[in-house]
Amino acid sequence: MSFRSDFKSRIEAMIASFDRGEEVDPTLRDVLIEDLATWQASRIPEYSRLKRQGAWPPALPTDVFRFRRIAAHAKEEDVRVFLSSGTTSSERSVHAYGDLSLYDRAARVAARRMLFPDVDQLRLVMLAPHEKEAPDSSLEYMLTRFAEWFGAECTWAWRQGELDLDLLTDVLGRAEVAREPVALLGTSFAFVHAEDGLGQRRFELAPGSRVMQTGGYKGRSREVDSEVLLEAISDRYGIAAPWIINEFGATELSSQLYETTLREAIHGPAGTRRLWVPPWVRATPVDPDTLRPVEGDAVGILRIDDTANMDSVCCIQTADLAKRVEDGIVVLGRAPGATPRGCSLAADQALGAR
Amino acid sequence: MTDDAPTIRARATAVLNGVHALRAASTEERAAWIAEAAVALKQRAGQAGPELSDATGLTVPMVDWASRTTLDAVRQDTLLALARKASLESGQSSGPITMLAVVLAGNVFTASVRSIVVPLLLGVPVLVKASSKEVTFPMMLRDALRRTNATLGAAIDIVAFSGGDAGCETALVERAEAVSVYGSDETVAALASRVDHAPLIPHGHGVSVAYCGAVAMDDARQSDTIANLSLDICAYDQRGCLSPQLVFIEAATDRTARDFALRLAEEGLDPMSQTLPRGPLPASVGAEQTQWRGLAEVEGTLIRGKSFGLAIRSAQAARWSPGYRNMSIVPVRTMAEAFSVIEPIGAALKCIGADLASIPEVRARLRESRALSGYACNLGSMQTPALDAPADGLPIWHGLLRPR
Repeated sequence: MSFRSDFKSRIEAMIASFDRGEEVDPTLRDVLIEDLATWQASRIPEYSRLKRQGAWPPALPTDVFRFRRIAAHAKEEDVRVFLSSGTTSSERSVHAYGDLSLYDRAARVAARRMLFPDVDQLRLVMLAPHEKEAPDSSLEYMLTRFAEWFGAECTWAWRQGELDLDLLTDVLGRAEVAREPVALLGTSFAFVHAEDGLGQRRFELAPGSRVMQTGGYKGRSREVDSEVLLEAISDRYGIAAPWIINEFGATELSSQLYETTLREAIHGPAGTRRLWVPPWVRATPVDPDTLRPVEGDAVGILRIDDTANMDSVCCIQTADLAKRVEDGIVVLGRAPGATPRGCSLAADQALGAR
Repeated sequence: MTDDAPTIRARATAVLNGVHALRAASTEERAAWIAEAAVALKQRAGQAGPELSDATGLTVPMVDWASRTTLDAVRQDTLLALARKASLESGQSSGPITMLAVVLAGNVFTASVRSIVVPLLLGVPVLVKASSKEVTFPMMLRDALRRTNATLGAAIDIVAFSGGDAGCETALVERAEAVSVYGSDETVAALASRVDHAPLIPHGHGVSVAYCGAVAMDDARQSDTIANLSLDICAYDQRGCLSPQLVFIEAATDRTARDFALRLAEEGLDPMSQTLPRGPLPASVGAEQTQWRGLAEVEGTLIRGKSFGLAIRSAQAARWSPGYRNMSIVPVRTMAEAFSVIEPIGAALKCIGADLASIPEVRARLRESRALSGYACNLGSMQTPALDAPADGLPIWHGLLRPR
């Protein structure tokens, strides 16, 4: 058995064991992360140049995905390449996969636990394009799989680059009349577009309806404070706040983190809104100078060790600020940039224009 | 401290009421009072190191260095020279405006000194909005001026409120004859929308770079170059618009660039992290620093110190650092190659710090450029501008004098 097959079996076994309802020993996960990182460093020269800071393997900054191909397999073995959003090549992270089965397994098990813990299938309404319209987007790939796995029916309300408000109104109106619960899934900016476009139209969706929103704005709509948007969505669709959750994902990752409130509303007990970290993932706020875990609930920058990132690098250093809350993580957002960075922006644009 | 619009209006009125007494004093008297206040403030700031350190996020030694070097430049002779130059260049028939409103940024706490003393020297009362991040030092300056001379003190006041408060911003600027704004482009744009009655003097986004010519890279001169460059990088923890974020080194290969970077780390930045230690790293900057350093490490060009990082980048892939003592070193064959990177920065370029031998050519290139308005200064003095150094390509007294 090759190293790759061996790792894949170990990761799959961990996810499957959790899916069966068994406890996953964090020590096993940590050993797997260590072994996987060592193997990846032996195959990815860029990663091998990072020096260990402390006890854990080094974490690869997400920015590196914008400038270098980070893959443990040859380019000709790519089965899918995901790109982050952005307008220039240097703004877009590139994540190549030689195999999507781990991604699929991780996505399915996490969504089943946090987004659909009470139903096998549900009517889905996507405020996002189908993967055919955005084949290089990991989000659209995931949502299309959700339609296959969890969708009793699915309506794609984002078409040809814009939200189809008539279609959205029609499908939600019919679900409202039929008292059929709906899951609305999409990007935060798409929900803002819906807010801006639906005017006075409000819905009273059936109990069991839910919302999953994800991602930032990146200039694609006006920016709305997350608390304000949560309230607006609740008011617009008649869905109680705990049933509206954020998903935290990234092009550079293969696993997703979900907010806890929906699952806790169904199975209890209710706790603070926070991100649940799947047991095959380790999420840790680290000190920016030492890159070691911060103490207690101090704010750090979020490091995510995602074992499902088998074909690239599992230890990823994001640029998001985060802190521990209870057994989960709260992401405080992307670093806003200090004054000197503000100064740099104009010049960055100038450099980018060269 | 937060002021409301009626308070701001009351202070504007009080400051305006001070104009006649201020004008009745001679330039020589005003220069003497300001110089005396600078001496008093230097002493006060020296005693208030921990307080200023808390307010600014800089360490006590850095705060002490910053206030000392800034206030040492505020002397009667330099003030009088500046007043003479302003009078000469503006024409004998020009006179001071009735009042200046100033919006300060929070990244370099001593920037308040030139913003306040220059107008007062020229007979212009000043109403200052301090940055919400840093009120302490401007207040100390105001108090020093008041204690030194009542006339001078009556013509200056400080207000503070949250940026974006339309009522307060209007109250700040409505009676000013000119408005000087330091800060982000967003801050400048917000204030511009409130000012339709008076000239706006914008000091928005900006960056600076350093240039070490072949002579400065010579073995005999490299120690001096390293000492000067280290000071420019460490001053104010590289937070200011006058802090270099890129240093071009001439006639260097990747290998000699790495040798230079190692010497800069060992002989310059490492010792300076003891004498002028860096302040705590804000989490937001830390996130950027981690990405910036990580990319350099992946590329095999990172030199990491206890509180600094150096990365060697080609001119084609030059990348701005997040500041806080992180520096990109860019080897170039010629100054022309460096200017091919600098030129697109345009009006956002504030300053080029260069070695003595390179300064004439840097100045000549800046003069010839249509896009650039920054100025050149010696390496080692980028963060200690002369009292009369230009700001954004214009004289520091720009907008303060008008035809009588």
